Amino acid sequence: MIQVTHLTKKYSGKVVLEIPDLQIPRGQKFGLVGNNGAGKTTLFSLLLDLIEASSGSVSINGIPVQTSEAWKPFTAAYIDESYLMGYLTVEEYYHFLGNLRGVAKEEITSWVQDFEPFFNGEILGQKKYLRDFSKGNQKKAGIVGALIGKPALVILDEPFANLDPTTQIRLKKLIQEEADKNSTTFLISSHDLTHVTEVCDRIVLLEKGVVIKDIETTPETLKQLETYFSN
Amino acid sequence: MLKLGMPFTHFKTQMKRFSLTDLMSIRKKKFFRAPQWELKLAVRIFLGFVVLYFLAVFLSLGIGGYYLLTKHYPDTDPILLINPFLGFYFAVDLMLRYFFQALPVTEVKSLLLHPISKKAIVQGVLLRSLGSIFNALPLVVLLPFCIVFSIENGINFSLWIWFLALFCLSLSANFFTFLILKDNKKAAVFLGFLILGYLLDYFFGFSISAYFGRGLDLIYQNGFWALIPAGVLATSVVLAHNFLKKQLFLDKGLSKKKERIVGSNLQFFDRWEHMGFFLKNDLRLIIRNIRPRQVVLTGVLFLFYGLFFFTQDRYFDLPAALIFSGLFITGGFMITFGQYVPAWDSEYYSFLMCQNLAYRKYLKSKLYLMMFSVVVSSTLALPYLFFGSKVMLVIWAAGIFNFGFGSMITLYSGAFNANPIRLNIKAKAFENTQNFSFIQLVFMLPKLILPLLVFYLPYQFFGFSGGLLGLVGVGLAGLVFQKQLLTLIVKTYQKKKYQTLQSFSKSVS
Repeated sequence: MIQVTHLTKKYSGKVVLEIPDLQIPRGQKFGLVGNNGAGKTTLFSLLLDLIEASSGSVSINGIPVQTSEAWKPFTAAYIDESYLMGYLTVEEYYHFLGNLRGVAKEEITSWVQDFEPFFNGEILGQKKYLRDFSKGNQKKAGIVGALIGKPALVILDEPFANLDPTTQIRLKKLIQEEADKNSTTFLISSHDLTHVTEVCDRIVLLEKGVVIKDIETTPETLKQLETYFSN
Repeated sequence: MLKLGMPFTHFKTQMKRFSLTDLMSIRKKKFFRAPQWELKLAVRIFLGFVVLYFLAVFLSLGIGGYYLLTKHYPDTDPILLINPFLGFYFAVDLMLRYFFQALPVTEVKSLLLHPISKKAIVQGVLLRSLGSIFNALPLVVLLPFCIVFSIENGINFSLWIWFLALFCLSLSANFFTFLILKDNKKAAVFLGFLILGYLLDYFFGFSISAYFGRGLDLIYQNGFWALIPAGVLATSVVLAHNFLKKQLFLDKGLSKKKERIVGSNLQFFDRWEHMGFFLKNDLRLIIRNIRPRQVVLTGVLFLFYGLFFFTQDRYFDLPAALIFSGLFITGGFMITFGQYVPAWDSEYYSFLMCQNLAYRKYLKSKLYLMMFSVVVSSTLALPYLFFGSKVMLVIWAAGIFNFGFGSMITLYSGAFNANPIRLNIKAKAFENTQNFSFIQLVFMLPKLILPLLVFYLPYQFFGFSGGLLGLVGVGLAGLVFQKQLLTLIVKTYQKKKYQTLQSFSKSVS
């Protein structure tokens, strides 16, 4: 699904990310962990062609993201609140996304009902603009927005942060279900080791822009990571 | 280590007064760390000259005003001539203040958690509001007037008391504005009074402004009456101070206003599948956010631009003046709104950039919005027919130019505008310039000079209608080559993509 080759990103001579080779197969739930400044968001931004690579390339489904826009139809992301349009209501935002991804209005209206348990009654029919939602509710709205149109690749930055415990648990279930149903590839970055090891089947640990560990998730993974981070 | 049971005497209990130098240093950092600050500095310098120019205009108004009045009405005291109009002046002054003055919410919020007393915060807010451009107006106009008056007639105490009284009233307006800012009900009552006053004046000849003027006459004749404006000022300060102090809570003055959802019924646009959605979003952007609303209102004011030129004979025979007004009348919205494309979407630009949305489609929708606005403006310009068919032809020729070609230039210039816009935050008077970049200034030239050239070249050889045909021709050419021009614009935008994304991700205030 994703092929990263000799990818580097430098800011005024300083290397902040250096990944010689990284492949992510279709349907994988890929977890990215690392301390602040490890390069997680930089990697995501490079994958989404939001910043320019200093060298190397990224391709999604064989499409080089820097030269073509053909990866956009099947790729979705929710990075932060700036992925919402603050002056729209949730429904208007979903209809807009649906329009971009070729899903009819009526279809979205019924599809979104399935997420009512996840929304916990706090999202739909609220009669307020997205900018007036709380941080947690904005995140809920944004994550579900990223799933509209069944994209093959979904990138989520810190999806568990700001969510209440109930919603965190429901989100894990949601990701599992989506991946099982549509074999969606998920890229998830998180500071929450418990959640990310539980939901992902592969964990990559970044530090100072370099891949330190690349492991399949086993029952021991959480312990391993905790040991690493406590040193 | 803090041991339990230890007395808390070592905690500082005294609050530091937030000093002016601290504030200045914060403001300095804010300026130099903003995107494209070098260009902004250039704009500030340029604006400095503009301000100097206006200063000169006002000074001459103050100085010349005295001589003008004494020349035309040698028998009357000029002060008594001015007084009746000052009521009207203060009404307009209050209204403008209401629209442009704002409580600096984010700044105040960040100060709340620091050891700064609420009193100091409020005093800071009130003190800073004194720097408003509206407070300078009486100083630059009235002060020179009074100085000239004194030079010509000798020092006159009652004159200076009159001046101070007016200055007090102007400052009171500054403080009273705070009381109605956050309260729609109070603002509505206030506006109602203004309208009522206007209606009384217009229909019944009962002029509040005249009565207000008589009050000022009294002050001028007997300085003791000046105690009233002084009292008004003191009251306004106390009221504003107490009011603001009570507002310093997150659920009071610092809260967001609860908004009603507006503009949800725009099904009309659904008939155009993709384009309709973008147009819908842009309309919602305009209706639902403070900043674009302000800008669009300015665009609407441009519709009246022609009244200034068409009513004066000396402009009427000057083709350039006619063309200018035609361009502004039909392109007011296009220029004011269009110059901030794509910055309107800066809050969520990275989101748009990874959606299934080709740049071309996005830009095309912006272009269509601008073209649509030219059609609307040209239609609304129909009453100008009153000034004759020549005026109407000029306006529509300029409209066709804007429709086909002006819109393209505006869109193109947007690619170079990397200043983000916070949509839902009020701009202060003259601080629209925060997003007014040097680039926009440079692009104003082709936007205005080019059409003049397009007019003048054929005008020299084929006369007036030849010039108009030139404008129409270029406008139509823009339509014919829209595809190619758009490709060029898309390429420019694509080249600037990463740079724009980076600038837009910098926070602004």
